[in-house]
Amino acid sequence: MNNALSDPALWHRIQFAFTITYHYLFPQLTMGLAWFLVYWKWKALKTGDEKFNQAARFWAKIFGLNFAVGVVTGIPMEFQFGTNWAGFSKYAGGVVGQTLAMEGMFAFFLESAFIGALIWGEKRLGPRLHFWAAVGVATGSWLSGVFILVTNSFMQHPVGYTVLADGTLAFDDLWAYLLNPWAFVQFAHNQCAALVTGSFVIAAVGAFYTLRGVHREQARLFLNAGTLVGLIASMLVAFPTGDQQAKFVGRHQPATLAAMEGRFQGGRLADLAVIGQPNVAQRRLENPIQLPGVLSFLAYGTFESYVRGLDEFPQEDWPDNIELLYYSFHIMITLGTAFIGLMGLACLQRWRGRLQSTTPLLWMIMLAFPFPYIANTLGWMTAELGRQPWLVYGLFRTSEGASKVVGSGDVIFTIIGFCGLYFVLGVLFLFLVGREIKHGPEHA
Amino acid sequence: MSALWYAILAFMLTTYVVLDGRNFGAGILHWIVARTPLERRQVIAAIGPLWTWHEVWLLGTGGVMMMAFPRFMALVFSGYYLALFLVLWCILLRGMSLELGGHIDDPLWQTFWDVIFTVSNALLGILFGAAFGNVVRGVPLADDGSFYLTFFTNFRVTGHVGLLDWYTVAVALFAVVVLTAHGATYLTMRTEGPVHDRSRSLAWRLWLATIPLFFVISALTWLVRPEVLTGLPQRPFAWLNSLIAVAGGVALAVGLRGGREQLALRGSTLLIYGVIMTGAAALFPVMLYSTLPSAQPLNAVALAAPDHSLRIAIAWWLPAMLLSLGYVYLIGRHYSGKVPVDKDNQTIY
Repeated sequence: MNNALSDPALWHRIQFAFTITYHYLFPQLTMGLAWFLVYWKWKALKTGDEKFNQAARFWAKIFGLNFAVGVVTGIPMEFQFGTNWAGFSKYAGGVVGQTLAMEGMFAFFLESAFIGALIWGEKRLGPRLHFWAAVGVATGSWLSGVFILVTNSFMQHPVGYTVLADGTLAFDDLWAYLLNPWAFVQFAHNQCAALVTGSFVIAAVGAFYTLRGVHREQARLFLNAGTLVGLIASMLVAFPTGDQQAKFVGRHQPATLAAMEGRFQGGRLADLAVIGQPNVAQRRLENPIQLPGVLSFLAYGTFESYVRGLDEFPQEDWPDNIELLYYSFHIMITLGTAFIGLMGLACLQRWRGRLQSTTPLLWMIMLAFPFPYIANTLGWMTAELGRQPWLVYGLFRTSEGASKVVGSGDVIFTIIGFCGLYFVLGVLFLFLVGREIKHGPEHA
Repeated sequence: MSALWYAILAFMLTTYVVLDGRNFGAGILHWIVARTPLERRQVIAAIGPLWTWHEVWLLGTGGVMMMAFPRFMALVFSGYYLALFLVLWCILLRGMSLELGGHIDDPLWQTFWDVIFTVSNALLGILFGAAFGNVVRGVPLADDGSFYLTFFTNFRVTGHVGLLDWYTVAVALFAVVVLTAHGATYLTMRTEGPVHDRSRSLAWRLWLATIPLFFVISALTWLVRPEVLTGLPQRPFAWLNSLIAVAGGVALAVGLRGGREQLALRGSTLLIYGVIMTGAAALFPVMLYSTLPSAQPLNAVALAAPDHSLRIAIAWWLPAMLLSLGYVYLIGRHYSGKVPVDKDNQTIY
């Protein structure tokens, strides 16, 4: 085995990356669907129209399956702070432990009290309390997002801390930590992206039923809600939230911005790369198509602004996988732009009353649902690869964070275990959700 | 401050054990008290939709541990690496069997998940029992204060020990019997018909079996770590918790004899509670003993987060706890009462 592969820290990273990526496929749909459920339950309560109840019941079943997989894949995440990242827990536990504990106490206790009742308890609870169960679960899932993103924001942009005599972290200012400006932007960006996933999935099921010519009333409801929320959320993901997020990166992680754009030399009138491949060995961008000055403008507000290149930073502070970071960022942006186009077209056709009959567009909507998952994943890859080589930006390196006592072999063993279990879990999930979709909303 | 958080952590972990422990117990008894597929659905329905709320106490405990004792979490979780992943995978399988089993009304599908449910619960009972044994026995702390455990070495309780040795295996078996008895008590309260009758007679017999086992385990503990038991008389909290345990035991006996099933469950809850908390009070301030003669035990103060963080956390922990109890009251009262043997169990759970 060569040196890089026998380095346990690499395997710790691979395991965490794999389990968190897999896990986050589920919460993004949970957070995206939750408010649709609340909305339909509320409409049913207000109008007494049975179709809203049918829609809510149908999506509650899919929500329940999705939530269950989210819970069982989420538990290993918390444990891995101790098992795989003991160095990090010891170093930063005095600070980030606070929000991780809050997540458990405020968000998980709330969600878990109501989830069973939301999915199975409509008859027992009665319509009013059942509506509140939906509100409880939706609030809990978004609160969980708040605490996790505050924690991640500290790792991206540490504030409110002080370093103790033994080298570990403690609070200087709790409120500065909780109200980290980075967290506001990241939360807005991330939650809008979760809504994109939720609305694309709902629209896709609506398009599927329309193309098959079944469940017409429900299909229209899904298509209308999915495309409208999809358009609004896709636009918000790009502007202002995505734009602001990139500006924060430019301000606080300039080396990361340079790597995201494959920019090795600094200068004014910085170009925005539309296409190109970074060549790290030669320190240049191959086959570029660039928009002159646009990067300066987007990152710092004027075309004249100076954007730093990677050459201005010591190489040990460069993100350690520049190619992957570059591709993640650019494909995310491309997909995000395509989402606005697709949903804009869908809303236009709906406004003209022709959405139900535009078959090619319905096909596209039906087949588009995996792409928000890909875009969300790439967004997180941009954030997390961009943070490298730091675990806590500028303070603590990733290589110091891994558990010293756990060897590569043990981690590889658990990675293989997760691969097997998660494969089975994924097959079961798709099978059961497929079954519910085939079953349809009217027989619930 | 670290003493207070030690108590809170012990309280949360014990609450997890008494709440999820009845699900472990019910899961272990799944094939014994329920003989037909319908009866097995009845057991799952009796566990009910709040099982996630029970399991979440483990996550809450993990979060609080990370906040209050980050060094303890770092040390113990990485030291018990493989055992913890076994626990995680069992929890994953158990959650899947509860959530997915009811989705398809097909005997093969449900039988498959019922088997997974029983196996994962039994393993969880054993692993958590062994974990308690490990806390009392200690771990082979190296000079830098770290350790890494294998599953087993030579089954002795000193020197380079493993996760399993004769003492921790004994505690694990004891824990399985206690949790099974607890689960049977729970099922007695929550079911009717044949499952109720079988659970009731099992509960009585299992609890009787725990009495001699309790003395055996106490004697073994005396052999392995006498300082835990000799320290007891000077610790008021240990006395208080022992009283709770005794009161629980009395309530359990009266409840089981008189058919007052709710009282019996409260009794068994308090009994387990009191015993574990007595143990926790006896161990304090040590959080990790060493099985090697050279190393000093690690205590709570050394492993705790800075005092400032602990003081901040107490301000929000209490309201969060009260809120949580509020939600569960709101939902839980809709799920009290007996679960019958009924086709409908597919959907009410």
